[in-house]
Amino acid sequence: MRRTLYGVVITLSTVGLVTAQSRAKAQSPAAQPPPQTVTPQTYPIEQIQAGEVRFVSECGFCHGRDAAGGETGPDLTRSKLVAEDNRGDKIGPVVRAGRADLGMPAFSLSPADMAAIVAFIHDQKTKAEAEGGGRRSVEATDLETGDAAAGRRYFNGAGGCSACHSVTGDLAGIASRYEGLKLLMRMLYPSERSEPAPPGLSAHFDQLGKYTDDDMHNVYAYLVTLK
Amino acid sequence: MSRLLLGICLTALAYGQSDSWLTFHGDYSGRRHTSLREITPENVAQLQQVWRFETQQNPQIKASPIVADGKLYITTPDNLWAVDTRTGAELWHYENPRNNAFHIGHRGAAIYKDTVYLTTPDCRLIALNAKDGKAKWNVVIADSNKGYWSSNAPLVVRNHVLVGVSGDFDNLPGQLKSIDADTGATQWIFYSTPPPGAKQPNSGGATGGQMWTTGTYDPSLNLVYVGTGNPTPVLNGAVRPGDNPWTCSIVALNPDTGKLVWGFQVSPHDTHDWDANEVPVLADANFNGQARKLLMQASRNGYFFVLDRTNGKSLLTRPFAFVNWAKGIDSQGRPIPDPAKFPSPSGVLVAPNESGATNFRPPSFDPQTGLFIVSAQDGYGIYFFKSGDGAYGWAGADYGVAGRAFLRAIDYQTGKIVWNHPIGEGAGTAGVLTTATGVTFSGDVSGNFLALRTSDGATLWRQSIGRIGNGPISFELDGRQILVVGGGSSLYAFALPKEKR
Repeated sequence: MRRTLYGVVITLSTVGLVTAQSRAKAQSPAAQPPPQTVTPQTYPIEQIQAGEVRFVSECGFCHGRDAAGGETGPDLTRSKLVAEDNRGDKIGPVVRAGRADLGMPAFSLSPADMAAIVAFIHDQKTKAEAEGGGRRSVEATDLETGDAAAGRRYFNGAGGCSACHSVTGDLAGIASRYEGLKLLMRMLYPSERSEPAPPGLSAHFDQLGKYTDDDMHNVYAYLVTLK
Repeated sequence: MSRLLLGICLTALAYGQSDSWLTFHGDYSGRRHTSLREITPENVAQLQQVWRFETQQNPQIKASPIVADGKLYITTPDNLWAVDTRTGAELWHYENPRNNAFHIGHRGAAIYKDTVYLTTPDCRLIALNAKDGKAKWNVVIADSNKGYWSSNAPLVVRNHVLVGVSGDFDNLPGQLKSIDADTGATQWIFYSTPPPGAKQPNSGGATGGQMWTTGTYDPSLNLVYVGTGNPTPVLNGAVRPGDNPWTCSIVALNPDTGKLVWGFQVSPHDTHDWDANEVPVLADANFNGQARKLLMQASRNGYFFVLDRTNGKSLLTRPFAFVNWAKGIDSQGRPIPDPAKFPSPSGVLVAPNESGATNFRPPSFDPQTGLFIVSAQDGYGIYFFKSGDGAYGWAGADYGVAGRAFLRAIDYQTGKIVWNHPIGEGAGTAGVLTTATGVTFSGDVSGNFLALRTSDGATLWRQSIGRIGNGPISFELDGRQILVVGGGSSLYAFALPKEKR
């Protein structure tokens, strides 16, 4: 039964698929380079080396020894916050306060250690920009394998998304506000970590057990059309 | 000191003794079950703080303390403190020099005669005099420049100090070393995946399988049981075809020779970072009408396994949390990975997520109720691999999407969930301790120390102490039952008020 339905979906949705593929080409990685450093800055090699020792031991497990992403933490060389940082004015507060909602602990580091870590991160970003592309990144184009028309049907039908959401209401222009992995993650579980959790979160959690991978990619493809 | 020497005998270690907590698990069985009976469901709400020990450092305590001869030993990466069990006062502190290996956590110390053992992030094993913390010797157990690090609480069996390492950011063979407790000399090395230059590599090209948690030991069979970690490259399984033994496995080793006696793979051909390092818990118990020597593991991959520990044969395999990655169970009792859930270029939604249905936080087995109590997570992650991610180290990307944390009681004979106590969003980090009086101690994700009724999971008492990163322990001191648990970067000792006992 499922196979038959699935076949019909594919036949009917050829147009949607082509649209998704065209868009995928338009958003190739080359068109979306990592955010460029806003304020170019240089650091003494000794400080960068000292920073590497501190970074690897304190931050490397989650963010990678090369700051390009590790077991749980993001690639810092592609981070908007790092791009906008000037000598630790953005990085420092995050490191000192942590991001408890994302599982990052707070660190109390000496000013010298903090400055050295900042130096190392910027140096790694400079190197990554020179090399081009992130090694462990997920590009928006990677995610666009779904069928937007099938996603719309799922959204309004089996998925039950339209019971709470409206593409002309809360989701209007969602793809202009979020893209790529961020959009997918929000679609799957829009965690704001607020207390108490909004009632819709449990519906999203339950939905995670219902999606097929095709459903997930189809709904994502549909959301991408909501510019 | 003589009492200590007597204390470290095998019979005491097999099922614990009341005035100490001699290994990561308290004893060799890994059950984390105390025979002390002073604290009961009726009086647990009267527990009071006896002392608090602050490391005065950043890192959360993730180590299980050990207690011997009136002293408690607690670790963080590069640090070991000896603490007076009566007052919580520091007796001595040992600090390893700064180094650039990963400092993500440390699981605890080990003790043998009058020596305390500490592993370090830069892969040293340091033998310290229990009296004053002076180093007796300091040996390198692996090359941290290659990407190994150690957080391991060693397991001591006679004069063998078994030490493991971590290292799945690089393609490194899995190794467990036995070090001579007196001299620091290497006695043997067990490789879970072939070392460089091995003549007949049998792992399908996989490296990894690190043994970074503390094993258990059966003195009557003279077998050590250790869980092994995930294969490397981690998310790219295509370059390492086959089951990749002995990654994501439980292995039984002879502690005198390091020879493999049997192995059981809980996750053949893992592509999700689901180390099988969770405690292999030992119990001698009836299993469906037959007296058995059992080994039980609630594994990171979401399945609860019961094995006959004499031969590694499966008795039960059943999920204890959300799973969607297996097509079924094979004739040997192993889950069959579903290729549709291998990491892919556009991503696949997988349950559990990378942090797992459980993890290194230790569970407890209560022999009275037959309940195996574990800090579990129902969760989902999204897993990616594309050819550009290569074949080294992580080789892919994955992201946790959502999780719900529970303390969950499993009937060891059927695998059925008997009760399920929610502890918050995400994953719990606290281990579990059960008592002979039917109390279960653990923690929630909000930093509360919890006492539950073992039979049904009902809350008996709670106290906010900060996020708990270790398993609570219990021992008797001056005729009084003491509980010690870590909250944040402090250790807390609790007991009943003296006058009300």
